[in-house]
Amino acid sequence: MFRKHVPLMPCRAVGAHERCSVDMIPPDIAPMTPELDQISSLSNLLATVEQLSLSSSQLDGVPTDLDSSLRFAGAQLTQAAGLLLRLPQEIIAQAIVILYRFYVGSEGGSFRINAVKDVSAASLYMTAKVSFLPQSTRSILNVYAYLLSPACPLRKPPQTSTKPDPESYYLSEGSYQAARATLLQTESILLRSISFITQVTLPHHLALYYLQTLGVLTPASTPKSTALAARTLAHLNTALLSPQLVYLTHQPPALAVASVYLAAKEVGIKLASVEWWEVFDVDREELGFLVVALRSCEAWIQAEKVRWRDGSCPLTLDELETEIKKKDGECL
Amino acid sequence: MASQVKSRWADDEADAVLEAKRKREKELKRKAKVERQRKLEEESSQKNAAPIDVGIKGHEGLNGESGRPFKRRRFSPERHTATVEPAAANLLRFPALEWSPCRHVDNFEKLNHIEEGSYGWVSRAKETATGDIVALKKLKMENANDGFPVTGLREIQTLMASRHENIVTLREVVMGDQLDDVFLVMDFLEHDLKTLQEDMLDGFSPSEIKTLLLQLTSAVEYLHSNWILHRDLKTSNLLMNNRGQMKVADFGMARYYGDPPPKLTQLVVTLWYRAPELLLGAEKYGAEIDLWSVGCIFGELLIKQPLLQGKNEVDQLSKIFGLCGIPTEAAWPGFKRLPNARSLRLPNTTQTTGAVIRARFPLLTTAGTTLLTSLLSLNPAQRSTAKEVLTHSYFQEDPKPKSTVMFPTFPSKAGQEKRRKVASPSAPKRGDAPKIVGEAVDFSGIFANRDDEEVGGGFALKLI
Repeated sequence: MFRKHVPLMPCRAVGAHERCSVDMIPPDIAPMTPELDQISSLSNLLATVEQLSLSSSQLDGVPTDLDSSLRFAGAQLTQAAGLLLRLPQEIIAQAIVILYRFYVGSEGGSFRINAVKDVSAASLYMTAKVSFLPQSTRSILNVYAYLLSPACPLRKPPQTSTKPDPESYYLSEGSYQAARATLLQTESILLRSISFITQVTLPHHLALYYLQTLGVLTPASTPKSTALAARTLAHLNTALLSPQLVYLTHQPPALAVASVYLAAKEVGIKLASVEWWEVFDVDREELGFLVVALRSCEAWIQAEKVRWRDGSCPLTLDELETEIKKKDGECL
Repeated sequence: MASQVKSRWADDEADAVLEAKRKREKELKRKAKVERQRKLEEESSQKNAAPIDVGIKGHEGLNGESGRPFKRRRFSPERHTATVEPAAANLLRFPALEWSPCRHVDNFEKLNHIEEGSYGWVSRAKETATGDIVALKKLKMENANDGFPVTGLREIQTLMASRHENIVTLREVVMGDQLDDVFLVMDFLEHDLKTLQEDMLDGFSPSEIKTLLLQLTSAVEYLHSNWILHRDLKTSNLLMNNRGQMKVADFGMARYYGDPPPKLTQLVVTLWYRAPELLLGAEKYGAEIDLWSVGCIFGELLIKQPLLQGKNEVDQLSKIFGLCGIPTEAAWPGFKRLPNARSLRLPNTTQTTGAVIRARFPLLTTAGTTLLTSLLSLNPAQRSTAKEVLTHSYFQEDPKPKSTVMFPTFPSKAGQEKRRKVASPSAPKRGDAPKIVGEAVDFSGIFANRDDEEVGGGFALKLI
């Protein structure tokens, strides 16, 4: 009658992946299959093929390459805002994933209707709100006002060396109220689009746990093992910017395994010579795909940097309209 | 059975053994045969497959690559054969959950209003497409100056992450025409424990109480093992269906917590179910506050009315101390340093420190009393955890917990009938917890006239 529930992961704290210690699992429940509609603390929602192949922005006439660029700019903007607000990477990463979820699919949001700067702010605001570190609307909007001003290094052509004018990122009371209304409205639109599922599971803590399980991250840290852990996390953070939206297509264990694999290769630490990734429920095919995806990030980000080096990436609706007009003009 | 009583047909046993042996042998033979057959089939299918393989290779041969091994390096030697699939199937696969924008509330047909909770209006509705009866809860958007209320977000977040047979299922979230019309679609249950108990003549029997308490605790244990605090457990938030199943509902105050506990708001849990450390203004608290509520609910089920009905924070504390005794520095180290404890003037005689739970529940067995005492332990560190409660000896002794299928059914009040309203405080509104300040609060009176009190077991006919 009272089937004692065995949670998939007994605690949310760092690295409690019980599956590896098989002897801890009572025999009658050994084949663990998560319940079908369970939002687990180990898995994520994944985008469907239809959602990935057609976005609402494309339907609205945003070229595919610009679509990717805007998504990248949004992620970059969120990351920068999170850093300025001194938020932990956990919250920032979740906000970026939610931003991606919003813009994906024909039923999702469109860049031409909801500007990427607004969605980025709303996503960060909402993610921080449900976390342990809520942020006020004013801090969020102040940070975004700065990030969108010409004073911000993200938006400034590199040659200009003039001292930035503080006036350009001062948020007056009037514009604060207007921006706040937009922020709160965008938040509601965002929540409706993602169906109120704010849970984003990150692979970061899994990756560290995998490193420990593989015996390469011991309590007595060596320079090499520290470098390995840092590199692993760096890969996971870079993957947040991937145009292939790997956080929407692969589960956290797969991302963690791929970053561990790649980091170990780069740092020069030999991992077990067996198919260790299968212990973490990742097959070779998936690992290979992700390794290629992660390695291609760098070149893509460099290309994006060059493309928008004058700081002209269209983050607001007006800028986007101008950009699309310019593109149409080029085509004609 | 047969081994205990000597059968009159003694050789029957031996016969049976022989028969069983024959049967086993037959079975083994049959299995071996099937196995042979399977192997044969496999071989033939491989033979059939081989020419095709060769065919492909031959085709490659046209490109001058004949005879080359597989392009991809194989790591495990067993993987050459076609039977690779079972090995790959060992991997844990997560169900690929998807998302799509919220549906419109028009997909549901409202039937009748149920009640207004602290954080929203609930009505009974029918899903037009499937005919399913559901409960629709409209979220209140009062604190809209911070955008979407964080309590609503947390309610959705924690409910979605909870899938347990004793926790109400959140099916989906739907929206109305306005952006702030948000409805939670949940399973509809006929009763809530509070009204059910008020309408019952005799209350629940001890065996039913055990079942209810086990169901509640297993839900709480699930929540805590997933790092969720409910923070508003009370009988009106415990729903019952007509099959004896209880489900915890109303996650309007629930949230994730961590270890070490983050700083959380103290103004949680309906007053009558609020733990003493919250009333004393503890900045950090954890899962223990839910267990205090479980203790209050346990007591309420036993005496058929809320256990500690304080009129305000101070009165609540005095009711608690009246039942559980005045805390001492030895029993609860550090309680004197809690923010609100400084202004309390407590009588310091030894006769007031012990709990009077034993005397208050004379019909409860010793095991039951120890369980209740440990749930209503003033010191949160000494309170039982949900896991401990589940294995408590109280549930092993007679009467055993009643099977849910044996539960009586009741006419559904959540249908059309209006309900009797009995005054009870609602969950606190968000904001700062009121401090117990001002002149020192005098508690020395609560144990006056102690000797005049009636004690002893009393008399009751119905026990089970």
